Amino acid sequence: MKIILIMVLGVLIGHWFPERHKKKNELFQIICTTLLIFSMGVMLGSRENFLRDLSSLGVQSLLFCLIPAIFSLLLVYVLSRRYLEKHNKEER
Amino acid sequence: MVILAIAALLAGIFYGMLDGANPIISGIASHSDLILILLMISVGISVGTHHGLLQKIREYHVKILLIPAGVIVGSLLGGVVCSLLLRLPLNQGISVASGMGWYSLSGVTISNFAGAELGSIAFLSNLMREIFSFFSIPLIAKYFNAYSCIAPAGATSEDTTLPMMIRYTNEETVVLSVINGIVCSAAVPILISLCYPR
Repeated sequence: MKIILIMVLGVLIGHWFPERHKKKNELFQIICTTLLIFSMGVMLGSRENFLRDLSSLGVQSLLFCLIPAIFSLLLVYVLSRRYLEKHNKEER
Repeated sequence: MVILAIAALLAGIFYGMLDGANPIISGIASHSDLILILLMISVGISVGTHHGLLQKIREYHVKILLIPAGVIVGSLLGGVVCSLLLRLPLNQGISVASGMGWYSLSGVTISNFAGAELGSIAFLSNLMREIFSFFSIPLIAKYFNAYSCIAPAGATSEDTTLPMMIRYTNEETVVLSVINGIVCSAAVPILISLCYPR
């Protein structure tokens, strides 16, 4: 819920946001993303068993990452080709 | 941006291992939720500058739920396939895949339900999924379509992956991505607990 409110706040600001500052806003997003990913790294690095877990459970974890992600990708691709892209073309 | 992200991740891991106590860097790292809020506002601004978007989104109607439905069903099927490959009990495999990238939540809850080892697999695999989805967006946008970029991101399609989404797809996909993230995030704890009936 919080995330929706924050987004809506951003959208409202964006409605009146001066076009000439658009690039600055994009740069700000890149900075925030980089900091977020860095924080994620810090959290991982300071986790006690991170490297040991990665070496012993890495292969299984990789399978559990890739297979569900790829199945989701294929299913969404098929569904969107069938129902969403057509919808967009009809609108145009 | 991809190179920047990889560098940031590696630098972060390295810093974390050093047990460093630079107050500025540690301060940044421990306030990541604040950074996320700023990022969300900024992404909201990008979406808001794109006039007429709301109308376009409204036209999707119920079809908007097709993306989260595809993501959830795909992940569960993936969990079944992983269980068979790794000879794990079906409910355990499905529960790990149900994390859909939300590594903190799935790691902790699955540890509680099925022990530390499966919890660690849930943590690592969902973490990898978030990282994979981040870096795969440019490729998926090129070889599949914009909607498909949302799929690997699963429950994380409402945060870190958004700036990549804006860069490689469009504002419309960003809004669909946020909606997908909200629906999938709501589904994660429900799906995991359904895997372990008492």
